Amino acid sequence: MERSARFWRVVLLAAPVAVFSVLVIWPLFSSFYYSFTNWNGFSSDYDFVGFTNYSKVVTDKLFLNAALNTVVWMVAAILVPTLLGLGLALLIDSRVPGGTVFKSIFYLPICLSAVVVGQIWVWIYQPNWGLLNTVVSAVTGYKLSYAWLAKPDTALGAVIVAWSWQQTGLSMVIYLAGLTSISEDLLEVCEIEGASVWQRIRLVIIPLLTPATVVVIALSVINSLKGFDILYIMTGGGPFHSSDTLAMHMYNESFKKYLMGYGSAISVVLFLIALTIIRVYFRQLKRVDEIYG
Amino acid sequence: MADVAASGMPSREFNPWPATILVSLLCLAVLFLAPTAGVLLSSIKTTREIAFGQLWEMPDKLFLGNFAEILNNPAVHRYFLNTFLVTVPATAASIALGLLGGYVFSKLPFRGSDILFLIIVSGMFFPPQVILIPLFRLFNAVGLIDTLWPIIFVHTALGIPICTLLMRNFFSAVPNALREAAILEGANEWQVLARVALPLSLPAVAVLATLQFTWIWNDFLWPLILTNSDNKRTIMVGIVNLKGQYSVAWGVQGALSLIASLPTLIVFLFFQRYFIKGMTMGAVKG
Amino acid sequence: MAKLKLEKVTKNFGKVEVIKGVDLVAEHGEFVVFVGPSGCGKSTMLRLITGLESVTSGQILIDGQDLTHAKPSDRGVAMVFQSYALFPHLNVADNIGFGLRLAKLPKADIERRVAEVARILRVEELLDRKPRQLSGGQRQRVAIGRSIIRDPKVFLFDEPLSNLDAALRVIMRLEIARLHSRLGATMIYVTHDQTEAMTLANRIVVFNAGMIEQVGSPMQLYDRPANKFVAGFIGSPAMNFLTAMQDQPDGVGSLSVSGGTVAIGRSVNTPPSERITLGVRPEHVAIVSSEAADLIAKVEIVEELGAESLVYFQAAGSNQQVTMRTSSGVQPKPGDQVSLRFDRERIHLFGSDGRSLAK
Repeated sequence: MERSARFWRVVLLAAPVAVFSVLVIWPLFSSFYYSFTNWNGFSSDYDFVGFTNYSKVVTDKLFLNAALNTVVWMVAAILVPTLLGLGLALLIDSRVPGGTVFKSIFYLPICLSAVVVGQIWVWIYQPNWGLLNTVVSAVTGYKLSYAWLAKPDTALGAVIVAWSWQQTGLSMVIYLAGLTSISEDLLEVCEIEGASVWQRIRLVIIPLLTPATVVVIALSVINSLKGFDILYIMTGGGPFHSSDTLAMHMYNESFKKYLMGYGSAISVVLFLIALTIIRVYFRQLKRVDEIYG
Repeated sequence: MADVAASGMPSREFNPWPATILVSLLCLAVLFLAPTAGVLLSSIKTTREIAFGQLWEMPDKLFLGNFAEILNNPAVHRYFLNTFLVTVPATAASIALGLLGGYVFSKLPFRGSDILFLIIVSGMFFPPQVILIPLFRLFNAVGLIDTLWPIIFVHTALGIPICTLLMRNFFSAVPNALREAAILEGANEWQVLARVALPLSLPAVAVLATLQFTWIWNDFLWPLILTNSDNKRTIMVGIVNLKGQYSVAWGVQGALSLIASLPTLIVFLFFQRYFIKGMTMGAVKG
Repeated sequence: MAKLKLEKVTKNFGKVEVIKGVDLVAEHGEFVVFVGPSGCGKSTMLRLITGLESVTSGQILIDGQDLTHAKPSDRGVAMVFQSYALFPHLNVADNIGFGLRLAKLPKADIERRVAEVARILRVEELLDRKPRQLSGGQRQRVAIGRSIIRDPKVFLFDEPLSNLDAALRVIMRLEIARLHSRLGATMIYVTHDQTEAMTLANRIVVFNAGMIEQVGSPMQLYDRPANKFVAGFIGSPAMNFLTAMQDQPDGVGSLSVSGGTVAIGRSVNTPPSERITLGVRPEHVAIVSSEAADLIAKVEIVEELGAESLVYFQAAGSNQQVTMRTSSGVQPKPGDQVSLRFDRERIHLFGSDGRSLAK
């Protein structure tokens, strides 16, 4: 029995483990390796340059700018969809008529690609006939033709709005799943104890949604860390690098300037950030599991 | 959950809550639908109409020229074909590999299998940029750059974490006694997997199929990096390429976006239940 | 039909010894029941016989053939699982014929044999249904059907009735007994329910902590338990245990128990200093007039079960509990002081290590 189990383990695991090792694990370590070289993407020979790429990271103004933008981007890309999604979930969960229709409407953008979402929002921000300026002009009576995406002040913010539009549905469904798992008894206790709607939400529902919140925030962190496509489409990191993030910067250095060694160093930094966040996440998940089972 | 709004109120009194909630939801829904509606409207309007600021007006007549333009463009056919050629095999392969891995991790655990499982699943969390350069170099070295193969391979590999996670969780819910009963009846592990575990896990497979199809179809980064020539582009890269060709033909761009999203929209409409389930299932038990 | 033989079987899970050397023979056509508290190793023993777990050391033989390392499906054993383990996606016919299909038997053969088994178990009209559409008893029959279709040499049952409600359990218990007499096959049956054990078994094997405490017919175990564990485990309500001291070192046989004296009229073959335990089953306790009393006790609770009553006492001289089973109409009331007497012939004595001190 044991022998046959061993045989089948090997047979069944061989393919997935091999594919995963060659195409994910090995490249991960390779990135570390290349980050110590000056490979340019084409030539077969390259030199080891030690920590040059990493010392460049620290002094590269564009890197620091991208890192700062990444922080802004991530904080906003976490908070906005999470809070909006929670709000929507609470509203829909109150058994309004047409709940499933609303759910689908808010969730629909998730199945659109970043390219399409980016394109939609480029149009919304279009200076002459975009929806945003049209609405503002109609409301204020003053003809506005502000180029939201072409101004360093608003470019990143404008992309964050588009991103939030797409991601809110995801946090909403996770919160809705969390809400259905709250026991009816607890809410009936609230009723008997005479809690107001607001008290019920603040003192009972939101604390009980903690596991869902952990999941939502983790997903937001992961997705926002990967957020590259939409920035590429909407601003390309511009104008004047005002919406450059680390992922964007890494792409530019590697595939525009062909500084693959330096690009690898940036990707390693990105990896380490992701690793830190994942570790914090797993620790939180364990803590939450202990309390909420 | 009980009605959040209607609580604590004497029954006959007017309750303003449901109406307020409904109105605010309606406003939000309009806000959320507006961008999609914009694309829809643009696709049935002429460039002239859009340039003159008539995009947001209800059309008096349906203009189908944009769709005709797109559907008659051989490049678009090529993009679509390429995307299917990537998405279908990569979806199938990643699910197949996830099935195999998930079965072992759930029914044949061994010393160290937890750690191996954790390593595989954590692949879900890493930014793809981390493996971009080595994979580019690898596929360049074997001469596969600018073919569809590397995109299939990469998406198969990147799908393994979520597929393994979901299948393991699903298989764990299949009672061990079923496997043992099958083994007593003479089945080997492969037969248990194919004849017992898999038929019972079709819902999970459906979830994964919708998720993987959508993600791979919508992906932009990998085809952008791994292909150069126009006839190897997938639809999402294609949209961006055609932007130059149709630079001010907004309506054509709108129609293109719509058509490009059609497969995932169809998947979404028909398999919404699975789709949402997958999103939450994959997330909840990290 | 076959003879099953276990020789010095042990099983370790990591460093934990779950089965600590079991020797046992189940004869042709015998119905052997494994009982014991949960975690005693009885289910593990069953899984070792099936081959779903492999033994750490020792041998498993069926009809003299060493099957210790054979594949589960090559052992000629069939098992009925506690959860029935019916495949939810297959209908009843395919569930019953699953093993035959794996063995690639001709379709007509499979159909014929499934129909035959269905007839025996009276599930003919259910063949097209899915397990979900069946009642608990029907699922049970289908599970049994799947086990008998391959004509196994040894049938194994892993607590097969524990998922059924009380009434159905009695019915299915009878069906299993009927099946056994009809097939005449060797059956090993694991349960924690001693009624099942007592009613079904030719022989009962009492497991405790990975070892066999005693093997014997139901009445042997009931009347002559080899030790305090078996005495306490078999029988419900459980045997009363009272700590006892030997009064007279000369061996005349008088014990002081909870402030009373019990003259047992025989010597106890153990040193007088040893603390021993007196055991007596609830049905061997009686209320008597005060001069015949072994013990004075106060009635705490009376449970009337209809045909009989259970009376719970607290002994006057100590805080030890005594239970009495009685069918007499005269019921004491809670708070009454009564005199109790133990049936002399039915008193068991156990040494401090739990062994039975033979009469």
